[in-house]
Amino acid sequence: MRVFPALFLTLSVLAASCTGARTDFVPQGPEELAGHTVAVAANSSIDLALSKNGDIDLLRIGIGELAVAVRSGRAEFAMMQEIQFDANHLREMGLRKCFTGFMKGNAAVAVRQEDTVLCSRFNAFLREFIASGERDQWIRDWSSNPDSMAVARSRIPASTEGETIVNGITLTYPFIFMKDEQLAGLEIDLMERFCRWGGYRADYQIVDFPALIPALNTGKVDALVSHIQVTPERAKQVLFSEPYFEGSICCFGRDPEAAASPRKGLVQTVRDSVYANLIMEQHWKLLLQGLLVTLEISLFSILLSILLGAGFCFLRMRRSPALSRTVKLFAETVQGIPVLVVLMIMCYVIFAKSHISGTLVAIFSFALFYGARFCELFRSGMLSVGRGQWEAGAALGLSKFQTFRLVALPQAFRRIIPVFKGEIVALIKSTSIVGYVAVMDLTCASNVIRARTFDAFFPLILVSVIYILLSRLSARALNALERKVNSKK
Amino acid sequence: MISVKHLSKVYNNAGKELTVLRDVNCEISKGEVISVIGPSGTGKSTFLRCLNRLEEPSGGQIEIDGVDILDRNADVNRLRRKMGMVFQNFNLFEHLTILDNITLCPQTLLGQSREAAEARALELLQLVGLREKAGSLPGELSGGQKQRAAIARCLAMNPEIILFDEPTSALDPTMVSEVLAVIRHLAGQGMTMAIVSHEMEFVRSVSTRVFFMYDGVIYEEGTPEQIFEHPQRPATVAFINKIRTLEFKLADQGFDLYGMFGRIETFCNKYGLGDKLFLRLQHVVEETLTGIIPFSGPVHLSVDYSEKSYKLVLTFIQEGATESILDKLPEDHLPIQLVRGFCSSLTEPAPGQLVVEL
Repeated sequence: MRVFPALFLTLSVLAASCTGARTDFVPQGPEELAGHTVAVAANSSIDLALSKNGDIDLLRIGIGELAVAVRSGRAEFAMMQEIQFDANHLREMGLRKCFTGFMKGNAAVAVRQEDTVLCSRFNAFLREFIASGERDQWIRDWSSNPDSMAVARSRIPASTEGETIVNGITLTYPFIFMKDEQLAGLEIDLMERFCRWGGYRADYQIVDFPALIPALNTGKVDALVSHIQVTPERAKQVLFSEPYFEGSICCFGRDPEAAASPRKGLVQTVRDSVYANLIMEQHWKLLLQGLLVTLEISLFSILLSILLGAGFCFLRMRRSPALSRTVKLFAETVQGIPVLVVLMIMCYVIFAKSHISGTLVAIFSFALFYGARFCELFRSGMLSVGRGQWEAGAALGLSKFQTFRLVALPQAFRRIIPVFKGEIVALIKSTSIVGYVAVMDLTCASNVIRARTFDAFFPLILVSVIYILLSRLSARALNALERKVNSKK
Repeated sequence: MISVKHLSKVYNNAGKELTVLRDVNCEISKGEVISVIGPSGTGKSTFLRCLNRLEEPSGGQIEIDGVDILDRNADVNRLRRKMGMVFQNFNLFEHLTILDNITLCPQTLLGQSREAAEARALELLQLVGLREKAGSLPGELSGGQKQRAAIARCLAMNPEIILFDEPTSALDPTMVSEVLAVIRHLAGQGMTMAIVSHEMEFVRSVSTRVFFMYDGVIYEEGTPEQIFEHPQRPATVAFINKIRTLEFKLADQGFDLYGMFGRIETFCNKYGLGDKLFLRLQHVVEETLTGIIPFSGPVHLSVDYSEKSYKLVLTFIQEGATESILDKLPEDHLPIQLVRGFCSSLTEPAPGQLVVEL
């Protein structure tokens, strides 16, 4: 355990040194970006536009990672909505605007293509919203000071009556972000206004940006309000409303002056990181919730996968070769698919139409995947128990089940526990992918914090440390179990 | 106590049928020590394992105390509690200490308290001389100790009969006697036992009755004296005298003499007959086949060597012979002279049958 502080310090120093790199070049237009690394949101309209210039080295990443990429030096510039940063904010982050007005980003609400009623209702609302001049006020308010705006808007009670609209959202400051454990932002505000106007109730589900359209089309969510820009390709898959926001896309780069500002000491850096990522806006609560979700998914997946594995193993060891082969084929098939894909299939294909929670889907997916693994593991354990042991039990008058429970199982367990320990730790760590099906686990919580604070390092290091602790603790618990089994006389 | 009628066992292995037990009939009474002997592969172990249904018999009837144990409704687990079994490979429960190996079943099946079971187990360990090993795991014991522990485990269930399935076959020769001593002790106390064993001296001294199994049946049975001193049937005689046999069938005079010598040499090497004996054997075979046997039809030759009396006997049989071969030849016939010079006796007990003892 003594290695953690050392590891933490090393990475923090690395973090501090990376943000200090200098660049003095300021591009004045998209044509000057040739030969430079530019971060863009994958598959966005900006991505499509810049792809035409083959000389630009595009870094296609998630929309929440753009600022982080520039700060950490992975990209020299990033193309983002201008509204995302005010001047103070930019200085704080060590970024500056290079050029703006490159193109308009028309954001619109997306619904399923057959959902014309909802779409026309929203358009009606939008026209009133624009005509009354409220929309311009709305944009001004949110551009100038999103945080105080979030506090102000959160005081207005949400509409709780009427039909529920589940909105698929992706966290991007200031469109949608977490403020005091609540969702806030320009778009949340927009949706709340629409619901009050139209007599709906809004519900939100955080979805990874690339998974938004599949989530909509499989019925997981009813509408996408996530600063999605209207492109012809997307319009083929979803029905767009009229645009509610015409933001201007701006090129951001690192600010050499901010970067050259006196370097803070290590202790100060760490202290600031802790404040920004944990204390400010009570982000630690988010992490704690994420940790609980991770623990919940891990625990139930482990229990269920052991049951499933034992069940598969039982079927596999029956005399019936057809049954055994079927189970084997099934287990091999499940294991041949990456666990992430299993999770996506479970979420977007098998349970697409049912309204069970993402957490349950995740538990089922991990239970299935690891159950298939445990099946063969348990089987090899059972096969390692010699026939003589079964015969000795039978000859003494033990029933088959008694022999299994008293003789075969303890022996098999002892043989598989070293491998089993590793599998359990692997299972716990693999739960970090549940963010893909909109479950807010520990990893996802850290991503939310990263999207808010644009800190590339601290949240990642923090969750790494938590995962290491989790792995060590579970390994220790299993070690204790192993010792108990081995010393049982 | 146990009555077996027309017991048969056929293994069905991938469509191929292999008959191990054809028709076994016997009675075992209380207090008897039955030894089952016979060559390998004659169904001794299978017979024993059918008695407690570790193998399902294919046919026949087994009654224990008047109850048909092959009945569908028979409670096999209850039956097995009354019949202990000691295995060739001990089969101690590897994850339990010796003490727990012994107390597991009395606690689980006989409802004994832990204290009572342990007290009894320690008594039994004392009996087999392993009291100080109570806390050891099976892996820490020698083969002989493991087998004694396995016997103690059997005894803890208070069986009415113990089946010993080659209890010393997997043991180092130095450890055989410690196990046999324990079995002998039990026999002395009047325990009913059925023992499959290859330890002939032991079988002879400990048994009340001996079953000689051959070809899937109890071929001959009797007291140890009858079986070991006066075996009646040929297979029993061959087995008791540990006779090793090499057989040839020669169609006519064009047989492969040198191929035959090769096989004879292998045979001699295998049983340690020595070069001199081999050369004499070779001469006798050559002279007899080329000079004495008329080859009026196919000839059978068998080479029998007794590992017990170290006697080597050659038997030549001329098929279809109606009159004596030796009588027809003159007394000074050279091959006969030569053969007589190499062997201790040359006789013709029946027409066409020459027996040469070397």
